[in-house]
Amino acid sequence: MTAAVEVSGLTKRFGSTTAVNEATFTVEENTIHGLLGRNGAGKTTLMQLITGQDFATSGSIRIFGEHPVENSGVLRRVCFIKESQKYPDDFKPKHVFESAPWFFENWDAELAARLIEDFRLPVNRRIKKLSRGQTSAVGVIVGLASRAPLTFFDEPYLGLDAVARQIFYDRLLEDYAEHPRTIILSTHLIDEVSSLLEHVIVIDDGRIIIDQDSDSLRGSATTVVGTGTAVESFIAGHEVLHLDRIGGLASATIGQLTPAERAAATTAGLELTPVSLQQLIVRRTGLATELEKSA
Amino acid sequence: MTTTTVTELARPSRPTSRIGSVVRLHLVNKASIIGTPLIILGFILLVNVAIWAIIAASVTDASDLADAQEGLQWSGASFYLFIYMMVLGILGVSATFPLALGFSVTRRDFYLGTAATWVLLSVFFGAVFTLLAVVETATGGWGLGGRMFTAVYFGDGVWYQRFLLFTAAFLFFFFFGTVIAAIYSRWRVTGTLVFFGILTVLLVALAFLATVTRSWPEVGNWFVVNGAPGLVAWSLVPTVISAVAGYAVLRRATPRG
Repeated sequence: MTAAVEVSGLTKRFGSTTAVNEATFTVEENTIHGLLGRNGAGKTTLMQLITGQDFATSGSIRIFGEHPVENSGVLRRVCFIKESQKYPDDFKPKHVFESAPWFFENWDAELAARLIEDFRLPVNRRIKKLSRGQTSAVGVIVGLASRAPLTFFDEPYLGLDAVARQIFYDRLLEDYAEHPRTIILSTHLIDEVSSLLEHVIVIDDGRIIIDQDSDSLRGSATTVVGTGTAVESFIAGHEVLHLDRIGGLASATIGQLTPAERAAATTAGLELTPVSLQQLIVRRTGLATELEKSA
Repeated sequence: MTTTTVTELARPSRPTSRIGSVVRLHLVNKASIIGTPLIILGFILLVNVAIWAIIAASVTDASDLADAQEGLQWSGASFYLFIYMMVLGILGVSATFPLALGFSVTRRDFYLGTAATWVLLSVFFGAVFTLLAVVETATGGWGLGGRMFTAVYFGDGVWYQRFLLFTAAFLFFFFFGTVIAAIYSRWRVTGTLVFFGILTVLLVALAFLATVTRSWPEVGNWFVVNGAPGLVAWSLVPTVISAVAGYAVLRRATPRG
């Protein structure tokens, strides 16, 4: 496998704040990566650096093996419509979809037309006057229809209703299966996208704190539910990520279990359930009730 | 999907011109970049014709009328259009730059495409102004002795001299707007204020210098001596400085949202 993105020792400072701090990771080609983190964790800055929209303070970035900054040859393989993308005041969605094919050579006009219909996007209304969700839809449509070998989706769910979110999810998987490419999806709504992600990168306060395959990440913890005493005796000696008690019952999130331990748990009358990616990231990082709240 | 799209994906990048695409991006909404200025121009012309008609109708004495028409050659009516082009220069850069970067265009390609767009538009509006100046002369000032496109500042040269003068003036305003937008894109409001602060100080200092050295007559004389062709040539100096400075500033700018 080759790398679509290689970042090493990447740091970006704005005055006294460090938005990205010594980030190092690699994104393999033709995978769907999740870039997860709280608001203000540094997700957008990181993506702006990778796409040459911003300049690194130190460290190195390669996309498809080349420096991205001012590199037309490699940037034309990238699509990054950020969540806060600015459009000219007089622009309507139709102007965006009319001009996008001039910049993305794999542009699929049919797909764009279908998505416009799916999202019920009013193409003749000024973008300024669109709702948050409709503005998100503009970016999502460009991201999907451009079929860029390296595509970023920045908070694509922002403001989208449940139906629209499902449409995005379905179309992304459908199109990804037919036209494999590298997708980096940033969001703070982890559960919504967790089943899409093959790999997870979690950034907090500018630092990469998790960079792991999502299957192995999911398998790295289990929740044990049962009577308080049974749970307590079982988890003794395990790494406990979280413990909840309700009456005589207890629920504990603990690290990876061996098959023998699993069997033992079942014999002890305990119930084992998988941990959702979101819970896991929250527990593992001790990150934040805020993540749960915002979800 | 079809097999064509699959093979297209597999094919290496086609070397399409990003610069040409940027020109098209600037012009995608023709209504606001070409339509609106033409409507404004038509409106100003119409209002002026109405005013000239009022003058012609209310001044009956022949010598008074000649006097009034003498005054009309100082018309600044077309000046709005030049200012409007500066606004287009500002908006074209500050609003389209973030989108162009979202479309994965390099700053260099964006700037070259933008400069090409300004040249095209300057030539286009220069031609429109020239045409109207020719009509103005041929109809004796729209039949009313009015002057808008043959105002005294535009000299009294032949049509191609007028064309060069108009085009050069449009170019200056587009690129001056570009510098302002580049400064805003890079340093936001603070940078823009500092820029205008410095510019004001410089202009006042020059005016002060001209006054204390009693050289205003020479300044006036300079314009007379150079005439329209000389002004065209000299105007290229600030235009080129603006164009180069605009790129130098925008090269390190980051779109923020």
